[in-house]
Amino acid sequence: MGKLINNGIRLDGRRVDELRPYKLEVGVLKNADGSAYIELGKNKIIVAVYGPKEVHPKHIALPDRCVIRCRYHMSPFSTDVRKTPAPSRREIEISKVIREALEPTILVEEYPRTAIDIFLEVLQSDGGSRCAGITAAALALADAGISMCDLVVACAAGKVDGTMVLDLSDIEDKEGEADMPVAVMPNLGIITLLQLDGILTHEEFKQGIDLALEGCRRLHEAQRKALMDRYFKTAPNQEVE
Amino acid sequence: MAAAKKSFIMEHLRKAHMIELLAKGRRLDGRELLDYRPIEIKCNIIQKANGSAQVNLGNTQVIAGVKIEVGAPFPDTPDKGLLVVNAEILPLASPYAEPGPPDEEAIELSRVVDRGVRESGMIDLSKLVLIPGQKVRAVFVDVSVLNVDGNLIDATSYAVVSALMTTKMPVLEVSEGGGIVEKAEYIPLPFSTIPVSVTFARIGDSLIVDPDSEEESVMDARITLTTVEGGHLCAGQKGLAGGLTYEQIMFAAETAKIKGQEIREVIKKAVASVG
Amino acid sequence: MPEVKRKYVIPGELITEGNYRIIANVIKRGNKFYSTRIGLAEYGQEGVKVIPLTGPYVPKVDDLVIGKIVDYSAFAWEVDINSCFMAYLPARNVYGKNFTPGQESLVKRFNIGDLIAAVVTAFDRTRDPILSVAGPGLGKISKGEVVKISPTKVPRLIGKKGSMIRTIESGTGCKLMIGQNGIVVLSGKPEGIIKAVKAIRLVEEEAHLADLTQKVQAMLGIKEEGGKEGDG
Repeated sequence: MGKLINNGIRLDGRRVDELRPYKLEVGVLKNADGSAYIELGKNKIIVAVYGPKEVHPKHIALPDRCVIRCRYHMSPFSTDVRKTPAPSRREIEISKVIREALEPTILVEEYPRTAIDIFLEVLQSDGGSRCAGITAAALALADAGISMCDLVVACAAGKVDGTMVLDLSDIEDKEGEADMPVAVMPNLGIITLLQLDGILTHEEFKQGIDLALEGCRRLHEAQRKALMDRYFKTAPNQEVE
Repeated sequence: MAAAKKSFIMEHLRKAHMIELLAKGRRLDGRELLDYRPIEIKCNIIQKANGSAQVNLGNTQVIAGVKIEVGAPFPDTPDKGLLVVNAEILPLASPYAEPGPPDEEAIELSRVVDRGVRESGMIDLSKLVLIPGQKVRAVFVDVSVLNVDGNLIDATSYAVVSALMTTKMPVLEVSEGGGIVEKAEYIPLPFSTIPVSVTFARIGDSLIVDPDSEEESVMDARITLTTVEGGHLCAGQKGLAGGLTYEQIMFAAETAKIKGQEIREVIKKAVASVG
Repeated sequence: MPEVKRKYVIPGELITEGNYRIIANVIKRGNKFYSTRIGLAEYGQEGVKVIPLTGPYVPKVDDLVIGKIVDYSAFAWEVDINSCFMAYLPARNVYGKNFTPGQESLVKRFNIGDLIAAVVTAFDRTRDPILSVAGPGLGKISKGEVVKISPTKVPRLIGKKGSMIRTIESGTGCKLMIGQNGIVVLSGKPEGIIKAVKAIRLVEEEAHLADLTQKVQAMLGIKEEGGKEGDG
């Protein structure tokens, strides 16, 4: 009926509950303490974690925990129309919500008086870059060996042509009715990011969250595999002895 | 993990070892004085850009992306398109890089690379004019440095050149009313020669090419020389507080020609592999 | 020998349930135990813990560390010990209690860029680590090759009661000084150093696997001496 979904098939050939193709990799940058790379649809995002480390300037240090800083940034060539390199209001807001999505999992009190810096660079953007960024950032934090009570994984759901769908592409995000990014700590089931952009009934809202959580569950499997590949590749099997 | 400090300090005993090796014509990582680290070039990695390339020079990693837009020419060059090269050393690239606007090092990097491309005449800017004095194509080459391990100038320069060589731009037509109509067809960005920079570091009396971070932390002087096809020089930049002798500069000029030709072949091969 | 079960884990992953004492890098919810790090989980009679495979060096009092002098003031040197905290070596820990600031130029003793072997004498959540160089083998390191490994893998490189160090030293003729902070200084003949660096890289890559000592011995061409120390 609509122009974005035809007989249950979306413009890029996906069903309504299907994720775009994805790829996750851990340990991609030499200098960073932890790093990860994600491709999700056309998104290509690289994340580096530095820390825990001394805080500069010193006065922003906290006596009983570490400070988490986060910067989400898009390279000028990452978008359809060139983006100026200076951070936009959108990037600043996204940096904040990403930080707040990740912070609940970090055992901050283990590292008093220090800082952890999380840098996300979007090399190519598509719909759902903040979610893809969060999924990769959690891997970078784990790669840095920072104590965490869980990973964090994120995925969006939304309403397109009157139907609730998983993992919106760029065009579905722009031309659809609603977009709702969700991040969750997968083992704990605690939601750490929720944004909504568009009108949904209560029914659709619930359906959307259920869809997003299902997407997160699949991406969490991919996160686990990426970490296993990086750290236990030479292991003969998972259970030892 | 390392606490934030303004710059990297090399351990004395490693430095002493480096100097000892240099005197014998060797380097800490096993290279000879005029050896580059492995150069890996991957083109067309960003589909949303008109052209793109990632260059890994040892552990130095940079990505260049080209965006082509329509803009107004500078008043003093109404018959020329625009070329802008801009490099950012991202905070994820090094424990010593800070978020914020580019510092003098990043600006020098952009300008040295820009000069190499511009002065070589690689891109004939007069071919990018749509309506003289009013509308021209603007070629933006943005570089994101992802991992810093020395010699950003050469890595950036090779990425910029490779990205420009793989750039496809939409065919544009000027309508009667002076409007610009974009066609669905794409053509390559016209380019001629391939400029190649070669960067040298002087450490004590030794002149080396392609310094890594450790070598940069102890180098006394730096010089970058860019050559065009055939070997003529087209751009240069001497850096840092130390100086160079006449002989060292002549040696660098001669070496830049030979090394430049080798690297030009590497770039051509990488570009050809993506068609 | 009490039975210990092992499992590779990532943060948030369930290790086991039941009644265990928490040793390290584990959190408990209800009667379930979850990992907080990437590593090798072990649980048995002694308790439950995760041996991490990556992570920062967090100083402990009495640790031997190898640090780099990065700055100095009239009272102390600032030492980068590859940690989340900058360490301090107070001048009185070097010159004695009668040290008067301004009388001695600290750079004459240790200059920026010098490597030192030191011991952590004080550290807690509220203040930065304090170092001392008083003791045999401590102080400025004037020669050798520096190798960096993940601080989490130092125990493997040392081995049970120093078995891995002895294996590498006897197989290469090099001397190893291993800082708990992941900085290793090797001294010996150049070809020995090359072999020792390879052995260290093998330990680093395969720290999560068993039979590491045998693998290093095989690599260095050493015959097993009675197969005494299992290192799993």
